[in-house]
Amino acid sequence: MDQREVLDVAMEAGHILLENGAEISRVEETIDRICRHFGVESENAFVLSNGIFLTAGNETEKRFARVKHIPVKGAQLHRVAAVNQLSREIEEGKYDISQIRERLRQIKVQPGKRKGTQVFMAGLGSSCFCLMFGGSLQDCIATFGIGLVLYTYVLMLGKHFSKIVENIVGGMLITVLSLLLARLPFGMDMSHMISGCIMPLVPGLAFTNGIRDIADGDYISGTVRMIDAILVFLSIAAGVGFVISIYHQLTGGAML
Amino acid sequence: MILLNLLIKVIAAAVGTIAFGAIFGVPRQYYPYCGLIGGAGWAVYVILWENLRFWSEPAVVFLATVIVILLSRLFAVRKRCPVTIFLISGILPLVPGAGIYWTAYYLVTNKLAEASTRGFLAVKVAIAIVLGIVVVFEIPQSVFRRASKF
Repeated sequence: MDQREVLDVAMEAGHILLENGAEISRVEETIDRICRHFGVESENAFVLSNGIFLTAGNETEKRFARVKHIPVKGAQLHRVAAVNQLSREIEEGKYDISQIRERLRQIKVQPGKRKGTQVFMAGLGSSCFCLMFGGSLQDCIATFGIGLVLYTYVLMLGKHFSKIVENIVGGMLITVLSLLLARLPFGMDMSHMISGCIMPLVPGLAFTNGIRDIADGDYISGTVRMIDAILVFLSIAAGVGFVISIYHQLTGGAML
Repeated sequence: MILLNLLIKVIAAAVGTIAFGAIFGVPRQYYPYCGLIGGAGWAVYVILWENLRFWSEPAVVFLATVIVILLSRLFAVRKRCPVTIFLISGILPLVPGAGIYWTAYYLVTNKLAEASTRGFLAVKVAIAIVLGIVVVFEIPQSVFRRASKF
């Protein structure tokens, strides 16, 4: 069996994991496992939050080196689960290299949730979280609507902006809509609506993975992910604050 | 009345967790577990903090995080899948999203004392989550393997 093929397959598995929100140690471990299973002993993987460095080579094994840049994208955890399962099955000796390559190709094109479903789930999640924070029924209904608008924006327009602008505009959007709805005579409460609507923007994945990476000793990737999360938090707050500030100017500081 | 209130909030947390899990691409067969984990974490928060005012909010969030991660790791071992799947959505109800809003709100309305109170509370809650995650991930995997046999 060609050593190069083994390393290419391992790299591909690592690529899918990293791109879809796995933590650094899992990526490294999976690459190691695949290589060891096929008898490549000299392999060395160095994984950062947006790239993989993979080398091999010693007295008996051929030299191999590859660097792959993997830009941060939206996570699809079902792909992480699928690669994890595959790596288990590889260790049980179920596949040869070409079968693994085929499986990885399938996992890579595995469709995520449809956009419509995602938008609906964002609305549902927002209104549930609004209820959870103590919002009334009217608040929840309003939050559902705002959640739909917000996530449609995130999927349609948000991707074209930088992360900072995307989240500032997102924060502004939910605040404007909540303000307008709170002015209607249905007794909706702005703070509950906004608390719920913020959730689809909140960087739960970056935050959690950042902590885990730092706890694992992967300080560089952990720090990058934490900064990513903090930046998003601050951007949302800036968007929300900006709109409230304008509103206060216009209404002469009237309480909301 | 308190019980009904608790029930509504926990169910809302469970459904909300599943909804956000779906956005993150959690496979459908794991939805019930995601819901259970998110609901359990929020139940701890509502009972200990909102009803009993036990200790302090960050401390309660720490306890809730510990529960969320213990359950996530247990289910991950049992279902033989990455713990990330349960963890990310399960932790989401505890992330101080409302804290961001209040901090921004008080900051721009020039109530700086309230802004710093809210802001530091949000930071404390975030640190509590960090500590919860770090502590429970120190427990060796073998403990969960043994526990999942029961």
